[in-house]
Amino acid sequence: MRRGTSPKAARVARGALLAATVLLHVVILAAPWVAPYDPAAQHRDVPFAPPTRLHFVDRVGRWHAQPFVCAIVHVPGTFFRYVEDCATTAPVRAFVRRQEPFGFTTREARHLFSADPPLDLFLFGTDEFGRDVFSRLLLGARVSLAMAIAAAGVALAIAVVTGAIAGYAGGFADTAISAGTELVLGLPWLYLLIAARAAMPLALPPPQAMAMIVILLGFLGWARPGRLVRATVAAARGREYVMAARTAGASTPRILIRHILPDVTAVVTVAGVVLVRQFVVAETTLSLFGLGVPEPVPSWGTMLAAAQRPRALTETWWLLAPVVGLIVVCMVYYALARVLRPDPLHNRP
Amino acid sequence: MRIGAFCVLLCLAGLAEQRTPAPAGGSARRGGQLVVAERSAPRSFNPVVITDNPSKTVLERINADLIHINRRTFKTEPALAASWTASRDGREYTLKLRPGLKFSDGHALTADDVVFTFQVYLDEKLAAPQRDLLVVAGKPIGVRKVDDLTIVVSLAEAYAVADRMFDGIAILPRHVLGAAYAAGTLAQQWTVATAPASIVGTGPFRVSEVVPGERVVLERNPHYWKRDGHGEALPYLDRLVLLTVPSTDAELLRFKAGELDVMSRPTAEQFESLTGGQYNTVDVGPGLEYNFLVFNLSDGAAGTPLARRQAWFGQEDFRRAMSAAIDRQAIVKLVYRGRAEPLWGPITGANAAWRNTSIPHPPRSVDRARQLLRQAGFTWRDDGTLLDRAGTQVEFNIIVSASRPERQQMATLIQSDLAEIGIRVTISPLEFGAFVDRLTRKRDFEACIHGIGSGDADPNSDVNVWLSSGNLHLWNPNAAKPPTPWEAQIDTLMRNQMSVRATGERKRMFNEVQALLAEHEPMIFLASPHILVAAKPTLGNFQPAVLPHYALWNVDELYWRAASRD
Amino acid sequence: MRVLLGRGVRAVLLLLAVSFLTFVALAGTPGQFADELRLDPQISPATIEALRAEFALDEPVLTRYAHWLRAALHGHFGFSLTYRIPVERILWRRAANTLLLTATSLCLAWTLALAIGLAAATARRTGWDRAAGLIAAALLALPDLLIALALLTIAAHTGILPAGGMTSVGVETGSWAALRDLAAHMAIPVAVLTLSTMPTLLQHVRSALGQSMPPPLATALLARGLPRPRLIARHALKLASAPLAALGGISLGSLLSAGVLVEVLVGWPGMGSLLVEAVTARDQFVIVAATALATAALVAGNAIGDLILHAADPRVRGADAIAAPAAAQ
Repeated sequence: MRRGTSPKAARVARGALLAATVLLHVVILAAPWVAPYDPAAQHRDVPFAPPTRLHFVDRVGRWHAQPFVCAIVHVPGTFFRYVEDCATTAPVRAFVRRQEPFGFTTREARHLFSADPPLDLFLFGTDEFGRDVFSRLLLGARVSLAMAIAAAGVALAIAVVTGAIAGYAGGFADTAISAGTELVLGLPWLYLLIAARAAMPLALPPPQAMAMIVILLGFLGWARPGRLVRATVAAARGREYVMAARTAGASTPRILIRHILPDVTAVVTVAGVVLVRQFVVAETTLSLFGLGVPEPVPSWGTMLAAAQRPRALTETWWLLAPVVGLIVVCMVYYALARVLRPDPLHNRP
Repeated sequence: MRIGAFCVLLCLAGLAEQRTPAPAGGSARRGGQLVVAERSAPRSFNPVVITDNPSKTVLERINADLIHINRRTFKTEPALAASWTASRDGREYTLKLRPGLKFSDGHALTADDVVFTFQVYLDEKLAAPQRDLLVVAGKPIGVRKVDDLTIVVSLAEAYAVADRMFDGIAILPRHVLGAAYAAGTLAQQWTVATAPASIVGTGPFRVSEVVPGERVVLERNPHYWKRDGHGEALPYLDRLVLLTVPSTDAELLRFKAGELDVMSRPTAEQFESLTGGQYNTVDVGPGLEYNFLVFNLSDGAAGTPLARRQAWFGQEDFRRAMSAAIDRQAIVKLVYRGRAEPLWGPITGANAAWRNTSIPHPPRSVDRARQLLRQAGFTWRDDGTLLDRAGTQVEFNIIVSASRPERQQMATLIQSDLAEIGIRVTISPLEFGAFVDRLTRKRDFEACIHGIGSGDADPNSDVNVWLSSGNLHLWNPNAAKPPTPWEAQIDTLMRNQMSVRATGERKRMFNEVQALLAEHEPMIFLASPHILVAAKPTLGNFQPAVLPHYALWNVDELYWRAASRD
Repeated sequence: MRVLLGRGVRAVLLLLAVSFLTFVALAGTPGQFADELRLDPQISPATIEALRAEFALDEPVLTRYAHWLRAALHGHFGFSLTYRIPVERILWRRAANTLLLTATSLCLAWTLALAIGLAAATARRTGWDRAAGLIAAALLALPDLLIALALLTIAAHTGILPAGGMTSVGVETGSWAALRDLAAHMAIPVAVLTLSTMPTLLQHVRSALGQSMPPPLATALLARGLPRPRLIARHALKLASAPLAALGGISLGSLLSAGVLVEVLVGWPGMGSLLVEAVTARDQFVIVAATALATAALVAGNAIGDLILHAADPRVRGADAIAAPAAAQ
């Protein structure tokens, strides 16, 4: 915070960032309540509905503080095009309670907001089965981010341990670990994924499927950051202050943690953000091998797979919601990583 | 709007650029090239080894058969053979070749080449995929030469549709392949690395250039035998270019960019984006493909979860209940955007000649499904979960090929449909190889959504699906003897219709097979997608068919309308 | 010399291990060659078995591996089951096509990443610096397939660039027109690969530069009258070289395996589309050979990365095994 911005502005920016982060995660954690619909509920009469418009001005031109929605009507003979019919409207209410399907019966559910039935409020439109994209986005975020962060954690943990050993010890350990890294990077993963799927039971319950994905991604992803950590550690080992610490008789773990780890954090935080993004997207590929999160559980990976079609770019643009979600998440995590990164100077003798 | 205008301009520009002017002296229809896409690069030009569709597409353009099935009328018509007659007992066919036939290298085609061809295809060592078509009642057909233009084909027993088996059997040049066959290296001939000039056939085109992984360029075969109504030599086009475009989205974009002249089989969603007058879009109606849900009824090892679930699957009322609970209209609307036909039997509307029209088409009824389940002794827990007699919760898994998004969508709809009657369905999309492995080899699955696209309208093409001994009798394949009386009945009917030669009688028998299938529902038929094709509007004679290749089946008659040629 | 020898031995062992494991994985993977025939009602299982017998596909893995290894030592990497020609006749051309694409985009991505990274470091802690970081983070989030689809859609609707493939029909090879045609076809895949790798590189460059130049040192050097850009280019970059050298090695190593799905989408006839096709068809020797080739590229890339590391900062035991005795303590 030395040039360009005043300390006060920086503090405000940092506060705003923290607030945004907290808000993002609260929304994601409270997804079932924030989301107005069950993410698996199919509204088969309104597939590909565009985002529902919130109205504040009614047909006679009067303003309402409480927003309302209009009915949507399919235009006959078109390919799922709809027009609004504001002859029928319904107010949007906050903190609603309603009966909705649960398992094979119904139960009372609470939601942050919802339009009065029978009208619908699809904030981000619907997908090909008429499922609410907004609800799927929120619940999918829980699934995908949890998986990606856990997998990135696994990958980075392996990367730091192996990279530190290889970079610091060198010699045989380095050769062995580097060969191992190259082996992991060299194997035909397309193939091994198919083999891995075959080794698992056919009907994998979602929690197990997710755990499986975390492990797979973790083991797939550690090799590259591992190489970076190794190089950083090897470079740091040759620096004057580390040499000094060694001659002063500091123990190896102490040197690693006190003097070298700070150097590694930079590489690791960047790799972490990169990995989280990669892993969210990787699920689209995994699903080609039957390793994705099974339907009807929403995930950003499966949503992305459905959005990666020409029509989503030209017409059903609301299906790109997970891309926007991913951008927001990446930016927040990136900014967070920069703010939270310890200043290496403080840790140095 | 502006994008549309751009596209029109671009198409016009593309047309102006790509089309070469008609050669002087040729008719108005002659000239130009047609660019189409294929999912993968052709892997070989050798008819004996080819198994994949992209290679078959090329193969069928550079080769001809003796008797051909018309892709629009489903009737057989003369090709290299000008005529044929059957003996009274139906066991001998005499085929007369057209006089003056030539291979694409100018060499004459005689009965010797035909005899050589069948010798090759029937050679067990080569394991040609065509061999099975040429085996009747367990015995390979006999082919002998009478004179240079006459061949006699003999069958072990009468076969109702013997003329149909010649379709797609490419006649091979003995003067080119004879030596390789004798040396035992036939399977290694005519690869993508072979010099194009030495790949010789009798089709409308011949290979001119191969760019590995990118495209195959075919040029007009000057020795092609077919002529149009005015006696002019076909084909009209100078060149046929087959580009490798691995993704269907990319194919759509390249078609819109004007780089492709034909978009064969767009999805309904893509088709919709092409309608509106700018392109010639044709919805041919349902094809012959039937998609279905099938339960695994092969004997599972006792005590396994599969065996316990098979106790439900084996009950006809259970299967009928599933059928009643599935919303076929939703599949048609949401999976195929309305461009499909809901099915209650394997024969689609495209095949009116063989369809049993008296099979009922009951609409979806959750009430009926519940009633059927109650009848079969199932009950519901308070929370709505379906329980069997023993009080076990009813749930099962559906496998589906991950490379078929439309079948995954069907599974998602069915999952939601069956949740309404208290059944928990899980879906496992599997990579294609793994899917085939479970379905045909390991038989390790509970239920499966799959589709079979018949290669021919005649019921004989799917006989392996209906015979209980068939390897594609998907609910319980390769049975030593029919496990149920109705399967025994189907076996008898299918076997008998194979040798009966009166079409009316065959039809009656096959109607009965369809009725038995509808009654016992070993497969729950779902929907048949329409065949959709689009082309540039100036492509003349463009008449997409129900059988493959949907757009190119009459490639020898396709031409560019003069207006587009500047 | 000893180092090179050690590297060579390691590379050979690695290739052996990878090819062997690939064989084993192939044997353990469900699905077989000619599987699509199994679902064709008109083909009998006996025919399929005969076809498989022809290629000795049902022999034990070890036997098949031994056969393959012996042939590979003579430069033959097996026979493609689907193409029925030796694998090497398919592979080289596809690998060259992929290299053309990935090498170009890699050069571009590194140039851009270093240029933007250095510029941002010069303007450290200002709005520009932060904006660059956030934009890179946003770009990072875009899936490469989506970028490819978007660019292809634009190309298809405007007609400024070809919407896929590598060459046009009927352009004379070896001419200027052919070169222009190739460049036009490369534009989109190169842009996609560049856009998808550059943000990652940029983040690492920024982080490495930021790390390498603790503010007091920078202030001290600046106070001595060193111009800021020079300071960054001379000193900071040098200090930042360790992770960047490793990153460069990884980039080089992934030349043959990057952008598989992009290749498939834009119809680029490279290794990626070949590999996907081979995996689907279970064309085992193509898979083994392609994997071995990609591994060789990887090993070479990492070796180069280590060399750069060592050259940039001789205190680092870049080329491993140099300091083996020292490490033993």
